Order: sequence, then C-alpha cells, then structure tokens
Amino acid sequence: MVVLGVMVLTFVMLHLEPGSAARATLGLKATPGRIAIFNQVNGLNEPLYQQFFTYVKQVLEGNFGTSYSLQQPVATLISQRLPRDAVLLGLSTVFALALSLPLGIYQAVRRGSAGDNVLTAVAFVLYSMPDFFFALVLIDIFCVQVHLLPTQAPQAISVSGILSDPRALLLPVGTLTLVSVSGYSRYMRSSAIDSLAQDYIRVVRAKGLPERLVLFRHVLRNSMLPIITVLGLSAPGIVAGAVIAEQVFNYPGMGLLFFQAATSHDYPILLASTLVVGIATVVGNLVADILYSLLDPRIRYVSV
Amino acid sequence: MRIHRRLAATTVALTLAMAATACSGSSSGGGGAIGNGNSATASAHGPVKRGGTVTVAEVAATPNFVFPFAPATNTDGYNANLSNPLWPNLVYSGDGAQSITNPQEGLTSSITYGNDDKQVTLDLKSWNWSDGQPITSRDFTFVYNLIKANASNWSGYVSGLFPDDVASVSTPDAHTVVLNLTKSYNPNFFTDDVLNEIPLLPQHAWDKTSVNGAVGNADETTAGAKAVYAFLQKQGGDMATFATNPLWKVVDGPWKLASFNAGNGGYSYVPNTAYSGQDKPILSKVVESPFTTDTSELNALRSGGLLDVGSLPQNDVQQAGALEASGYNIADVPIPGVAEIIPNFYNAQVGPLLRQLYIRQALEDLIDRPQIVSKIYAGYADPGNGPVPLKATGPWASPLEKSGGPYPYSPTKATALLKAHGWKVVAGGTSTCQTPGTGAADCGAGITAGEPLKLSLTYGSGTATTDEQSAAIQSSESQAGITIALKSEPFNTLIADLGPCTAASHPASACSWQLVDYGYNPYGLYPAADGMFNSTGSGNVGGYASPEMDQLINDTEYGSQSSSFFAYEDYAATQLPWLWLPNQDEILVYRKTLQGVAPLNPFSGGLNPEVWYYTS
Repeated sequence: MVVLGVMVLTFVMLHLEPGSAARATLGLKATPGRIAIFNQVNGLNEPLYQQFFTYVKQVLEGNFGTSYSLQQPVATLISQRLPRDAVLLGLSTVFALALSLPLGIYQAVRRGSAGDNVLTAVAFVLYSMPDFFFALVLIDIFCVQVHLLPTQAPQAISVSGILSDPRALLLPVGTLTLVSVSGYSRYMRSSAIDSLAQDYIRVVRAKGLPERLVLFRHVLRNSMLPIITVLGLSAPGIVAGAVIAEQVFNYPGMGLLFFQAATSHDYPILLASTLVVGIATVVGNLVADILYSLLDPRIRYVSV
Repeated sequence: MRIHRRLAATTVALTLAMAATACSGSSSGGGGAIGNGNSATASAHGPVKRGGTVTVAEVAATPNFVFPFAPATNTDGYNANLSNPLWPNLVYSGDGAQSITNPQEGLTSSITYGNDDKQVTLDLKSWNWSDGQPITSRDFTFVYNLIKANASNWSGYVSGLFPDDVASVSTPDAHTVVLNLTKSYNPNFFTDDVLNEIPLLPQHAWDKTSVNGAVGNADETTAGAKAVYAFLQKQGGDMATFATNPLWKVVDGPWKLASFNAGNGGYSYVPNTAYSGQDKPILSKVVESPFTTDTSELNALRSGGLLDVGSLPQNDVQQAGALEASGYNIADVPIPGVAEIIPNFYNAQVGPLLRQLYIRQALEDLIDRPQIVSKIYAGYADPGNGPVPLKATGPWASPLEKSGGPYPYSPTKATALLKAHGWKVVAGGTSTCQTPGTGAADCGAGITAGEPLKLSLTYGSGTATTDEQSAAIQSSESQAGITIALKSEPFNTLIADLGPCTAASHPASACSWQLVDYGYNPYGLYPAADGMFNSTGSGNVGGYASPEMDQLINDTEYGSQSSSFFAYEDYAATQLPWLWLPNQDEILVYRKTLQGVAPLNPFSGGLNPEVWYYTS
C-alpha cells in the first residue's frame, strides 16, 4: 500500500509541476509539430488517469518506460547505476559502522577524557563540513599534490569491475565513510552512555564479568538500537545515490540520474527512481524492525 | 569538452557541442597545426611522432544515437560529435578556426549554382567507403529518399528546407548530383547552412529493412524508405552495439568507432585506414572520457595523469597558470553564436514597455559589455556588439558591428533617451512614466502615468559567471532607474517553464516571463537568423515581429546578393529584437606535447583529431 501510495503521489505531483516536458527535452526551438510528435510518442496527450494506468501496467510488466532525454530504457539506466551506488554507499556504510561502533563505545567508556574530547571535536568538524568540500580537499591532497590516488571513482559498470579497482574507490568511499562516522559515532556514544548507566551493567560487573565481555556482550548489543533505526532510515539513501560524491568523483549513479531528470521533466526516470526509493524505504524499515526484535527479545510485533 | 552554457537551440547546436574546442591565440606555443591537406612530417616543436593515444574530456556530453539522422524526439546535441568523424557532411564546415568551408575534407570537388540559383550541381570526389566500395551519387539519393519519406521524424528537419526545398534530384553519372530547388537560394546559405548538415550514407550496405535482410533498393519507394529508416533508427539507438554493429563499421570519415561504453557514454576511435581524404589520422587512438561535471574534469586535469585535452571552466580561469605549469597549453576558443537577453513583447505587464525601441535601446546602452568581457570572462568572450560574433565568424560581421555596434555603453545616453520620452529618471531608484501617450516625447502606447520601469530577468542557474553577469547588468541598469529583479532556474526548467509568446498566442500561464537569458543561440557556418528574429521563427520566443526584418532575413537566404547579409545584420543590431550580450568562449586545455589541436575548428561537429599529433 505504501508503494502504491508513493506511485500515485509522485505521479500526480510530477504532472502538476508547471512546464512542458516536450520543451524541456526538445529545446527552445521546438516546433509545434515536433512537440506534437513528442507528446504522441510518449503518451502525454492522453488523459492523466490513462497515463497513470499505462504507467502502472508498465511497472507490473517490469517496464519503467524510456527516458525522454537519454532515450534509453529506464530499467537499463537504473540497472547500470543502482549497483554502482550500492557498492559506493554500501561499502561506506559498512566501514562507517565498523569504525563508529567501537569509537562510540570507547568515547562512552572514556567519557570526558582527552581522547573523548579529541574524537568529539573531529566528529563535529567532519559533521559540519560539506561533503563536496571535504572531497575536494582530499582530492587536492591525494591526487593533485602527492599523486597517490586517481581523481575518479572506478568507471566500470559491473560490481566486480568496480571492486577490481580499489585504489579508485578509496577516496569516494573514504569521504562518505568519514562523513558518516561522525554521525554514527555520536549516536553510538550517546546510546552507550545510557547503557553503561543501566542496572544490568552494574550487575554483570558486580558478578565479575570481564570488562571486554561487558562492553561487547551487553553494552554494544543494547546500544545498537538507535543505530538500527538510523540504518533503516539510511536504506533509501543507499539506492537514491550520493549526488555530490557522484559529481565530484565522476561516478554517475542514481543521484545524478535523478537530479538531471528532475531539471528536465524526465517523468519516466523520476517515477522509477521514486518508486525504487519508496521500496527501499519500506524494506529498510522492515529490516530494522526485524533487527530490533533480534537484538532485544523484549520487542515483539504482534497483531492486535 | 562542452559548452559551458547550455545551448539555447539544440538542433543547430550539434556542431558546436564538440566545438567546445577551437582555439586561436594559444598562450604558450600551441602552434604547429598541420593544417588541412598538409602532410605531417615535422614542426617547430620537433619531428612528428606517429601513433599515440589522446584522451579527451567529454563533460556531460554523452551521445546516445549513432545513425546520423536521429528521430524527432531525440535532440541530444552530442550525437553529432560521435557520428561526424565517421560520416562527415557533404560540405565540411570550418578550416581551423576560420569560418569557411574546407574543400579538403568535404565530400564534393565542386558545387556549382545555376538557373538563377535554383539548380545546384554537386561533383562528388572519387572517394571510397571503408569497405572499399566507391562513394557514388546513389549514396546521395539514398539519403534524399530516406529523409524525404521521413522528414517529420528527423531531429534536424526544418520545415521548408532540406528536403522540402528540393523539387527533384538527378544523377547524370556516378559522381554528379543535380538538385533542382523549389526556388532560388542564396548560395552562401545553401552551401554553408544546408549542405553542411547532410552526410552521405553507404547505400550498398544500409539499404535494408532487417539485420539479416538483403541489401537492395528499398529506399526507392516511400514505404521502403520508411522501413529502411525505421530499421536504421532502431539500430542507431542500441547503444550496446554501437561499436560492434556491422552497419556502423562502414564509414567514409577519417575515424572508425573502436569502443562504446553504454554505461557511461565513453567511446574511442581508431583511424579508418581506408580513408580517402588527405588528412589521414596520425594518432593511433582517440579516447573520449566521460565526466559528470566540469569539477571532476578539472580535478583530472589538475592531477595531470588522465587527460590530454579538456576545457577549463570559465569559473576556474584562475587555474590556467597552474595548468600551464603542469604541462598544458591554454587556448581561447571563440564559439559561433549569439548571446542575448530576450524581451517578451507580449508579457501582459511589461510588454508595452519592451515594445518601445527607445526602452530597449536604453537597456542596451546600460549593459557594459566591455567590462563584462574583461572582468567576468577574463577576456575569453566575444564582445556581443550585435547578432554576429566578431571572433568566431568575423567575415560576416558588418563594419557597424566591428566598430563596436550601435549601442556602446553609455548611461548618459540611456538617461537622456528616457527623459526625452517622458520618464522621470531616478538614478539608483525606479524611474516612472510622467507623460503617458503616443507622441514622440511621450512614454508610448500602453504605458500608464506613474508606471515604474521595473523588469524581471530570468537566467540559467549553475554558472558563477552568469550570476556575475546578471548582477552586473542589474547594477548598471539601475543608473538610469531601471530596476531589474533577478531569478535563476536550471536551464531545462527554464525552457520548460517559459513558453514562446507571440501576437497570436501569449497565454498568461506560459508568458509571465519578462526578460530571459537562455545562454546563447548557436550558429552554423553562415550566421543566418532564420528562426530567431523572423516573425514565424520557432526560436523567436519573445514575439518580435517586423515585416522589414522578415524581408531582410529572407534576402539572406533566398537573395543572390552577399551584401544583403550586412543589411539584415545592421538592422537587427539596431532594432534590438534581443538585447546583445558578450558570448563567452571555451578555454581549451591540451598537452604541450600534442600539436595540431589549436586553432580548433568550432564549426565541424568534430574535434578534428585527424590533424593532431605528438612530437618526439
């Protein structure tokens, strides 16, 4: 139902937008004759409800239509770009988690220490820094000054091709990872501080459980819930792409595809992209709910 | 490489998209161009080194169609970049940076006009296709038959021009084509703006209706021509097979497509070893490397490793020194086109103001074009004195334009003009109409007492130099109390939202805009105004209408007098159907070890890498 709602809403809102898709695509000198051909070829002269039913029918058949401006099947365009973003954003999310969880716990345990203060300052700097600026700084250092890394992300289309060029992945993944770490680690620190103050932590410590087990068996698990929420909400972001990183690192993905379509009234791409993001939102929240119950057995979803 | 500002018209723009690079005046020794028809043996920079790969930046310029005649719904201006080096047009536009035809690279040995310019005789050169078959007049009739049967589904179709303007075609022999036209055409116009848009196609390989079908003469019937065209268009849009489809391996240009990446639009060429022309490629490969934005392209240039040829965004002109220090040459590339602010003569609110010539004159008087060129574009721009660019198409610029145009910057003159027409001028504020009426000293028809001289200017967003130019105009117009409100939108949104407004149709929903800066309108080799200022022109979105202008434009296309062009040009420059602005150039960046790049041809639709070479 949510996905259907997304389809209806986006379709209506896009078609309420002022301006002509034909003129946006064909250009300033588009003649009435060419505009008529464009509208006929793309079904834009049909009543709106009919266009919507055609769209739903196409989607059910796995056909997202053809991009007005790129003149390619939208399914092909998405299949080329989605894996690229999944690799870039998936890897950066995994690395960000791998860094931010121990960092957050460390800062919670050493709350107020010099290490905590330094890491907090670094996190604030990274969090407040625009990612395009951060990316450009890294490029200037590692690519222009010391010529250590390439300026571009991998240009291959396939996942294996992208992963086969780890040097080219380093900067874009590193940029997104560091920007994400700053946020995740703050969540983790805050949540771990709460957990450390709980009675059950005092109990396990009083029972003589080694500190390592206290932290990783009890604190980590109970502190993960806010992170799970954030991750669930991040799922649509992973498929929506990272338009800034895609531009700076020359890595055409879903973000750039959507951005360019949005400025040119390219309805098929916009509809398909929002649908994909809508599905990812539903799936992300579902996975988050499942993870809640796995991490904390007290949480159970029952039908009432 | 790309043009920074978006093209205001996509079809004619095809040749310019790649023209992102043409250059004159290399700042650090970019000379040594082999030139067309010369053999590359040595240069001032050292002996010519045969072979080598050149990687060229392709910024947001991804082609998606390889068959030279794209469907009406496909206006990707970068398709010509891909196809022109494979199938050059009958008339080759530009020779270096000169706005002339290039007989060396063109497909005709002569073009003769007769019967009061109603008959054109094309003598085709004895060239061969890459598969060894000769190029013949049958290849022309193949093109003509396809386009005649499918004109409305060709993106380059302009009603009244090719093929509508051809009454009949005859082919007396294998190398002669005679076109009988429907009326007399100005030879300059027909050669430079019509024949230079038409390639030849290999009838012996493409005249079929399916992949496995036999080649025949299907194009000789309308139904057959439609079937062949549909087949070729379907094949031409299959990006995955651009480099492998046997159809596209038969070429007559200097290059063959070696690879095409359907995922990112990157592609590469290798020499067509059977090319019949004189400028045979010296390089062994040219790679077009795609970039999403000029930011990522500039990063690649600054790192110095990947790119051999690229362009420097105007916003980053201060990087020129660093690039030169790291082994690149910088060169200016004048772009053939006219930059403008279009007034909406039928805006319900300010249409009466903009219909007054004296107000348009005051607006133009207050645009400090020389300062915009020097301060905002660092000298990399055409002065914009009128409808014809001085730098790119100098031979067509009239003495009036060359002398600075009819409206050099003069706030004093603008203020005097407004006062002479009944306005209370409030410098730094908003001038108001004091004496409404239609007399010589009154504000003019439709302008009411107390009406303020306030206008809004909408322009394409995303380019700092355009922001600065608009702000500069806003500031200078205020000197005569003309208040300009600025608004920016993405280019595609701009052209989608702001509709054409004419005397016959100016709906409030699409005609609420007042002044708009779309960027610029590109020209072909012959900078004709058809479509721009004539009352029925599809690009005349502001609704300017003048029978005299229509007649003068008509004379440039259908009259036989070359002088008629200057008459049109001076009239347009003076009457201000649009307000003239400086037209920014491209800034070419290329490796110092690479020669022949500059001056680059901005007219041909290709970068002409066949004349590029490394020196040992």
